[in-house]
Amino acid sequence: MSGPSKGADPSALLRRATQHGLVWPVLALVVLLLACGLKSPGFLDVATRDGNLYGQLVDLLRNSATPLLLALGMCLVIATGGIDLSVGAVMAMSLAVSLTYLAGSGDPAAPANVVVAVGLGLVLGLAVGAFNGFMVTSLGIQPFIATMILMVAGRGVAMLITQGQITTVTSAPFKSLGSGFLGGIPVPVVIAAVVFVLVALVVRRTALGMFLESVGINREASRLAGVKARSTTWTVYVIAGLLAALAGIVYGAPTMAADANNIGLLKELDAIMVVVLGGTRLDGGRFHLGGLVVGALLLSTLERAVIVFELPSQTTPLFKAVVLIAVCVAASPALRSRLRSRRTAPRRPAPVEVAA
Amino acid sequence: MSTRLSPLRAPGAPATRRTPRGRALLGRLDRRFLPVVGTLLTLVVMLGVGQQRYSTARADFLSMRLLSNLLLDNSYLLVLAVGMTFVVLAGGIDLSVGAVVALVGLVTAKLFTAGVPLPVVLVVGVLIGTCCGSVIGVMVQVFDIQPFIASLAVMFLARGLANVVSTNSLKIDDPGFSALASWSLKFGEGRETWRINASMLIALAVLLLAVYVLHYTRFGRSVYGLGAGDRGAAVELMGLRPARTRIGVYIVSGTCAGIAGLLFALYTKSGFNLTGIGMELDAIAAVVIGGTLLSGGVGFVLGTGAGVLVYGLIQVLIAREGLDSWYTRVFIGVVLLAFVALQKLVAIRRE
Repeated sequence: MSGPSKGADPSALLRRATQHGLVWPVLALVVLLLACGLKSPGFLDVATRDGNLYGQLVDLLRNSATPLLLALGMCLVIATGGIDLSVGAVMAMSLAVSLTYLAGSGDPAAPANVVVAVGLGLVLGLAVGAFNGFMVTSLGIQPFIATMILMVAGRGVAMLITQGQITTVTSAPFKSLGSGFLGGIPVPVVIAAVVFVLVALVVRRTALGMFLESVGINREASRLAGVKARSTTWTVYVIAGLLAALAGIVYGAPTMAADANNIGLLKELDAIMVVVLGGTRLDGGRFHLGGLVVGALLLSTLERAVIVFELPSQTTPLFKAVVLIAVCVAASPALRSRLRSRRTAPRRPAPVEVAA
Repeated sequence: MSTRLSPLRAPGAPATRRTPRGRALLGRLDRRFLPVVGTLLTLVVMLGVGQQRYSTARADFLSMRLLSNLLLDNSYLLVLAVGMTFVVLAGGIDLSVGAVVALVGLVTAKLFTAGVPLPVVLVVGVLIGTCCGSVIGVMVQVFDIQPFIASLAVMFLARGLANVVSTNSLKIDDPGFSALASWSLKFGEGRETWRINASMLIALAVLLLAVYVLHYTRFGRSVYGLGAGDRGAAVELMGLRPARTRIGVYIVSGTCAGIAGLLFALYTKSGFNLTGIGMELDAIAAVVIGGTLLSGGVGFVLGTGAGVLVYGLIQVLIAREGLDSWYTRVFIGVVLLAFVALQKLVAIRRE
């Protein structure tokens, strides 16, 4: 339109491509994977052993399951303009409940007991989600502070459940939830994939997704338009609590130890990071589920890359910070409009702010 | 909403002119102070319970000794919470402070082992915090990134840097630093002994300075104005500078985190990379308990001081009761819930 050349202008194409929210995360993911592959030649190999998939890439997928589960719930909450800080504590609580029940049951290896244990963990997640939803919708407390209450208290509750000890159990069926295989694919990956598809179907094939977005954009307007803002918001917190409980069980199952102090520590921040990397803005109103997969993969690839490059694993937060800052700044509308106005400075009128 | 209008007037400023309907005015004032009154009431109830249950024939629970111990153990938290108050009043949040405390402690320990003189170490420690705060401020103001996410990035950054410095606990045995840590003025006799040390003095000085800045300066007025919403338009119309203020609050918070890092190093005489996990939430909790609305614009920094005392007192009571330390977190959650509900009540009545 305004550029010197018209038609198939490669720079315009490039500009359009770079404006897609996911370009930077995908690029970062590919670069990281290639770098790892170059550094450690076997990195990209996938082998089968006893019909199960093995390899670094498979581990990577397995490690992405927990952040993906958490981020799914978080993303829906963020879409309504909220935030759920309690997910890390919920992970600790659900694992504590599950393992404490298993330890108390006569036969921890019995499938029925495992089902009940997992069920109890999920019910706890449901209850926490309902509590969060109650505070946000009925009491009208800001989501940040409403969920912070359980973030602070939840870990204490988890300690109460395990009575301050690290509860350990041996139960093969429970353990397989974290480290087993189903049809050659790691169980956590299967769980995450199934949940992802379910959530995607529910929010994209029913009107719920649209309700979420409308509540996130303008709560009052959507209420006037007949959307049940209250129950919609309530639903997303319940989903987030449920998924966090599931994530806690999947995450803690391989070690079978409910360490209330450390399970899920700072995982809420990882989940938020995945959502942001996935191209969803924290203001709410719009969300991209597909981006979450990219974000979760990027997060666990980053963690893995630090190990592949023989850097001390404690430096991981540093690289997380660099990626987070880079993606945020690159995706920041402020930077974009600044670059754009520099490129077409003489012709472009000052951007008009639309009154909110 | 009209609810945000009154807080623009700094509480230190002279009261508006007395109208004949003085009682209505009083009523309005009361409601604005209600969260802080709630904090003070809680404090009084907790002190009363403590006095009732834990006084012995030889010593009262309620004593200068208790107050002095509270300040001694929580001076770093007080400084952190004061910085956080600025950010929260301006409608933002700073999640990086706990990580900054860890980073400052480790860098301080490392510099001492490298033989850097004490004054330089102290200045560098504070400046680290200032730098972290500035990064957040620039990200928030210039790149329009949400405060939550900007400070989260800096939190990861500071935590990572701290791990790069050392993953072991580093002992600080610089003679000057040790002297500073152990300096104290002693008052009273026997069981009634209470003391004043350097950390307490620094923390109180920070608190008083914050009271002055927030309630008697242009910057303070802008902070309240920013928190009132409308993206700082009102502040701009008043001839104040929203951009500068928004960056400023994060610099204040970062600097406070730097000071708190030094105080924490003084307290533990060491640096460790796992310190301060969850400390940002302790600070936010103290701010909320102190009656500042997390949506910004309403609150008092002195309330934050009271909030820190409530926070410290919960720990004291739980220890005296012989309960396990994890009850602390549950109780803090409950108190937080109560205060948030109270804030909500106040907001509803205002409407």
